[in-house]
Amino acid sequence: MSDLLELRCITKRFGSKPACENVSLTVRAGEVLAVVGENGAGKSTLMNVAYGLYRPDAGEIRFDGQPRDIRSPRDAVALGLGMVHQHFMLVPTLTVAENVALGSEPRRGIVFDRQAAEKRVREISDRYGFALDPRACISNLSVGTRQRVEIVKALSHGARVLILDEPTAVLTPQESVELLGLARTLAARGHAVVFISHRLREVLSVATRIAIMRRGHLIETLDVATETPTAQSLAELMVGRAVAGPQRPANAVRRTAGAPVLSLRNVSLDGHAARVALHDISLDVRAGEIVAIAGIDGNGQSEIAQIATGLIRPDRGSLLVDDQPIAEATPRVLRDHGVAHIPEDRHASGLAVTQTLAENIALGRQTRAPYARKRWGFHWIAHEGRTTRATELLAAYDVRPPEPERRAGDLSGGNQQKVVVARELDQQPRALVVVQPTRGLDVGAIASVHDKLRSAAAGGAAVLLISLDLDEVLALADRVVVIRNGRLIGERDGWTSDEQSIGALMLGATSATNAGAA
Amino acid sequence: MTSASTLRARLFAPRWQPLLIPLTAVSTALVAGFLAMWLFGKDAPQGFALMAEHALGSANAVGESSIKAAVLTLCGLSVTVAFTAGLFNIGAEGQFTVGAITAAWLGAALDLPAPLELLVVTGAAMTAGAAWALIAAWLKVRRGVHEVISTIMLNWIALHLVQDWLVVGPLAAPSSNAQISLAGTVPVHASAQLPRLIAGSRLDFGIVYAAIAVIFCWLLLSRTVAGFEIRLVGAAPGVAEASGLPNARRTYQAMALAGALAALGGLLLVLGTEHRYPGTFRTGYGFDGIAVALVGGASPLGTALAGIFFGLLRAGAKGLQLVGIQPSFAELLQGVSVWLVSAPLLFAALFRKLRGARAT
Repeated sequence: MSDLLELRCITKRFGSKPACENVSLTVRAGEVLAVVGENGAGKSTLMNVAYGLYRPDAGEIRFDGQPRDIRSPRDAVALGLGMVHQHFMLVPTLTVAENVALGSEPRRGIVFDRQAAEKRVREISDRYGFALDPRACISNLSVGTRQRVEIVKALSHGARVLILDEPTAVLTPQESVELLGLARTLAARGHAVVFISHRLREVLSVATRIAIMRRGHLIETLDVATETPTAQSLAELMVGRAVAGPQRPANAVRRTAGAPVLSLRNVSLDGHAARVALHDISLDVRAGEIVAIAGIDGNGQSEIAQIATGLIRPDRGSLLVDDQPIAEATPRVLRDHGVAHIPEDRHASGLAVTQTLAENIALGRQTRAPYARKRWGFHWIAHEGRTTRATELLAAYDVRPPEPERRAGDLSGGNQQKVVVARELDQQPRALVVVQPTRGLDVGAIASVHDKLRSAAAGGAAVLLISLDLDEVLALADRVVVIRNGRLIGERDGWTSDEQSIGALMLGATSATNAGAA
Repeated sequence: MTSASTLRARLFAPRWQPLLIPLTAVSTALVAGFLAMWLFGKDAPQGFALMAEHALGSANAVGESSIKAAVLTLCGLSVTVAFTAGLFNIGAEGQFTVGAITAAWLGAALDLPAPLELLVVTGAAMTAGAAWALIAAWLKVRRGVHEVISTIMLNWIALHLVQDWLVVGPLAAPSSNAQISLAGTVPVHASAQLPRLIAGSRLDFGIVYAAIAVIFCWLLLSRTVAGFEIRLVGAAPGVAEASGLPNARRTYQAMALAGALAALGGLLLVLGTEHRYPGTFRTGYGFDGIAVALVGGASPLGTALAGIFFGLLRAGAKGLQLVGIQPSFAELLQGVSVWLVSAPLLFAALFRKLRGARAT
């Protein structure tokens, strides 16, 4: 295997703090190199340096053995680097072929040669088994398919090194399996695939080598074939101490659930282009229990979360708190009833990235102490109280950096999520709607978020958990309700069920008999 | 990364240095102006001396400068407040006009004792401007009409309603000759005029209005929870909504305040300088407010600084005629500073160097 991309002694600082320090890493043709590490370990920074998004403060990048000056992604693409980001860079109103061609459109005279563009997509798609329709409009495609479009786009620009930044974070389990297969195919065809991920099981199943980063340093590079790492050993290398995976703690005790706090009664929602229809959903979440809705992405779980938090109103049926129907179920009203929300889309509804951490932590409680004080009939911002409380919370949730006046957008995704979790749990909610709470978080952070959710339930909160990650569902849930095509099709006990039985129900393989007592 | 590429981030200074970029832009514009004068063979030092004299050299000059600064600041604040709530208020001009005509009408129609008359007229003019701006806010919240479109259209509606109907029709001053269109409205009562603060200068109470407005906006936006909510609604509407913030109410409030501020600007000119709504009155101050807000980095204090600077510049530029330069030179410098603020990348390298020099 030949060395394609070589990073030598790369250092990148933001302000005075190094995000990457003296990191050297080689990427070889024909391999899948996994880069793993906690949130903020420097994985993405390192790859963004290679891709020309950041300029390194020190170090050298070599490609094909030659030192190269990569000043922009354009330079990187010209050399044969491709990168698929977590947030896709596709134009939703254009077709697959148009998106792939964007920036290097084939022309016939001065006219865009659509046929050539479509042919190019079809060729690449066939060669690697992407199964893409070049004429499909992006806005109609699932997240997994959009990701394949991004990969085809990179390949069509001649990428020999393909960097995938947490590619499975947005995928369903099935899509993840397909993507891992694709990564292997690409490597077998002589490409180099760099796979940035938190999901250690996926990493172990796909990677030929694994680079582990911790706090800006490259700790170790393991050869999977000879050194046979395990998820446990990787996790320990990542955080530098022993950790448990997402599983129920051995000493966990089953709590008796109390009265229903948050309920949906015969809720239906008419579907349209941007949302899935719901059919006659009835669900009680009781005090002290964690109810998980499991299902393949896009089967209506987002819509349930939006209804339960007041962001959309159901067409029929009602939302109840303490068995009382809520007439005007707006986010404000629900929050006043003690319903907190850890949203799915952090940037759209969780965190104002242009504002400071302290301001984000105050959000939702901005009129209350210690964030505000009342004087002369007005609510005034209590800067000191806010900073003090924010500092405490940032420390308690291990947010890095723990600086209340830092802009939220400066933090890594995992640390941003910790801020949202800190804010929502700090309100001591009576009910908690939690959607994908640990997506994109590292093992240490996942364990800490799970602990917080468990103790919220132990403290009497009714927790509605919506997650695509079955490990997470089984580590947390007392009851698992399975959703498919906008219908609740069965319930399983969270303590006794296994992944197979719930997975089968999610896929609709078994009949919809309720086996809650099994 | 993502926020850095938004229009907001490109147009406005980052929060950690709200005054640095405006000050740099303004001083660079002055240097550019100096060089331009010199290149065209004019006596640049003499020109700048004359500008300074006409801006600050006498009680009268200070009066002229401060009237202009006050009106520019109020119109700038109008744009700044709306922008903080995520709205681009192109409609300050229309709100200004509505405020001006309301002041002219009530100042002549009402005859109340001295302090009361001014207070009532001020309150009414601000309310009228707020109502005018609320049309755009209502269209935005209820119908999803973009405020840029609606406020531009409302500008024209206000302009034609006022200039082509009210001023020449119902509110026109009675006149025996044919020059009715130049006469404007009936003059306001003395009790409605803004009191002059210094003898021999047109410096009037308007400067106090502007100062109160600046302090009010600064307190509101940076110190109160209402201002916090307005900022959040502007910066991240989806997050604000999910957090239970009253997005629609804050949008209405911010836009109403924006309209009231621009209207106050119009009132200042009518009750302070003109004492009626003149037959021809197209000042463009409402549009200048956009430039003032841009250079001021959309912060109340920055906007006040920019307003004062442009006010001094405009008053001072009159002196340039003595060295053969058009007074519109002031607008040229205004344009240059807006351009410099809108191109922060030009400064980014400079600031990096400055920081680097400090660090080593």
